[in-house]
Amino acid sequence: MTTTAAPDAAARLPLVQLTDLRVGYQRRAILPPISATIAAGELWAVIGPNGAGKSTFVRTLLGLQAPVAGRVDRAERLRMSYVPQQSALDTIFPVSVGQFVRMGRQAPGRFAGRPSRADGEVARAALAEVGAADLARQQLRDLSGGQRQRVLIARAIASGANLFVLDEPTAALDIAAERTAMDLIAGLRARAGAAVVMVTHLIEDTLARADRALLLDRDHDVALAAGADELRASAAFVKIYGRTPIHGSLPHGGTAGAGTGP
Amino acid sequence: MNDSASWQSLFANLPIFKDAIITGGLAGALLGFIGVHVVLRRMVFASSAIAQAAALGVALSFWVPIVVDPIRHAAGHQAGSDAHVVSSLLFEPVLWAVAASLLATLVFIANPVRLHLTRESLLGLVFLASGAGAVIVGDRITQEAHDLSAILFGSAVVVQPADLVLVVAATVGLLVGHLWLWRALIFVGYDPTGARVQRLPVRRLNAFLFLSIGLAVALCTRALGALPVFAFSVLPAMAALALTSRMSAVFVLATLFGAVSGVAGYAVSFRAELPVGATQTALAAAFVGAAMLARFLAMRLRPRSAADNGSNGGRE
Repeated sequence: MTTTAAPDAAARLPLVQLTDLRVGYQRRAILPPISATIAAGELWAVIGPNGAGKSTFVRTLLGLQAPVAGRVDRAERLRMSYVPQQSALDTIFPVSVGQFVRMGRQAPGRFAGRPSRADGEVARAALAEVGAADLARQQLRDLSGGQRQRVLIARAIASGANLFVLDEPTAALDIAAERTAMDLIAGLRARAGAAVVMVTHLIEDTLARADRALLLDRDHDVALAAGADELRASAAFVKIYGRTPIHGSLPHGGTAGAGTGP
Repeated sequence: MNDSASWQSLFANLPIFKDAIITGGLAGALLGFIGVHVVLRRMVFASSAIAQAAALGVALSFWVPIVVDPIRHAAGHQAGSDAHVVSSLLFEPVLWAVAASLLATLVFIANPVRLHLTRESLLGLVFLASGAGAVIVGDRITQEAHDLSAILFGSAVVVQPADLVLVVAATVGLLVGHLWLWRALIFVGYDPTGARVQRLPVRRLNAFLFLSIGLAVALCTRALGALPVFAFSVLPAMAALALTSRMSAVFVLATLFGAVSGVAGYAVSFRAELPVGATQTALAAAFVGAAMLARFLAMRLRPRSAADNGSNGGRE
């Protein structure tokens, strides 16, 4: 396995520091140690085939499960927001767009009673920022995939987070909606002091925009954290995806197409 | 139908029946409100299993005194119909119902994944074990079999004043708590991962929800019986969800449907000389049928353009 720390990470304000982090279940590590720094202004792509351990890594990063070994040091001012896959949200719930975005305002000490007027204004501003102000009264479940993704991002913005963690935000979107979502996601890191970590199967477009990436392998013997360009040129990338990608040539599933093997 | 079952007779004897009517209405309102969470979180049979556990608790409250102190129990029987039921505060049926319900509720709070089991399978275990236990215990307490049958199937013609007080207290206390935590409970039910990331106390909020379900079901089961309690915690929410797509309106309508089912169900059962719990349940089910019909008609009559705007089937 290989892990590479970002050479210029110290120059940026670190939000999360991973030191020999091993993730897994029931004290059994499923990935090699990962050392990396997620710093403000960075867009991280977490890529790898299905079953490579991307979700386990993200859950550990978010603090939803304990590391098997190593450390996750989070900055004191860190405030995370999680953007789930659209399919994770149960359509039986009659949740309006406005109500959903206001959920982003809930926090310890701010979840009981009625929402404040300020929370409503922040939610409206977030919706406007993603171009979804006119959707506030609609049901989230009635929106198109692209509209829904914008609303999910609006909730993350409304939360005031400085680390946005997105789980396959472009899954099941058409090309136009995919581009819009990617533009919005890339724009999140431009917010003052914020960074983005994104799990994705959209390898080409993401690596073109990402500063850094974490590549995980299905065999659980690769956990390569590196600059996006460096990662694209790595042997591990070629091994997993079959070749160095050419823009627009890799299927979204992440595995190499027929005849493109090493 | 005889003269004693007329509407005039019901109103003339209202002082006798009013406690049962109020209890039915409050239980319907409380369970209707909480039931929205039950239905949205796809744990419909949780309330059924908890109600069954409460019924087992009540059965045990009859049976344990027989085992512990058979002589005193027999003397209680000879003293009169009211004396035999409770030989000590320790054997108060409602306490046993609450204890059994809360024990059953712990099953839902626990994480069964480590046992390689699903929560649904544990629900089934609680339901079946409690049901079997209630029948077995019921077989040992033949003299109280009528009381036990009333608890299982709901024939609360007359409600004890103490039960009414408990149901009033539970309705006020739990509804205030639920209204206070309403936004957070919706968030935690809809997107538990997002809520945990935003550092909401997800486990404590879920514990509050489950314990409030356990408490409400236990107290209402003691007063009304297991069947209407299960019905009130599922059917009003279903009717409301079929009628409206606004979350707050769903809770208001479910509360209203539950209350009306409890009160009107009692009145209809009196008028038609039907079992109370079954009539309340049938009325709540009728609300679901009417709501589904209304939803179907609304969809058929809605202008095509409005329908297209409402949902675009996942297209941008």
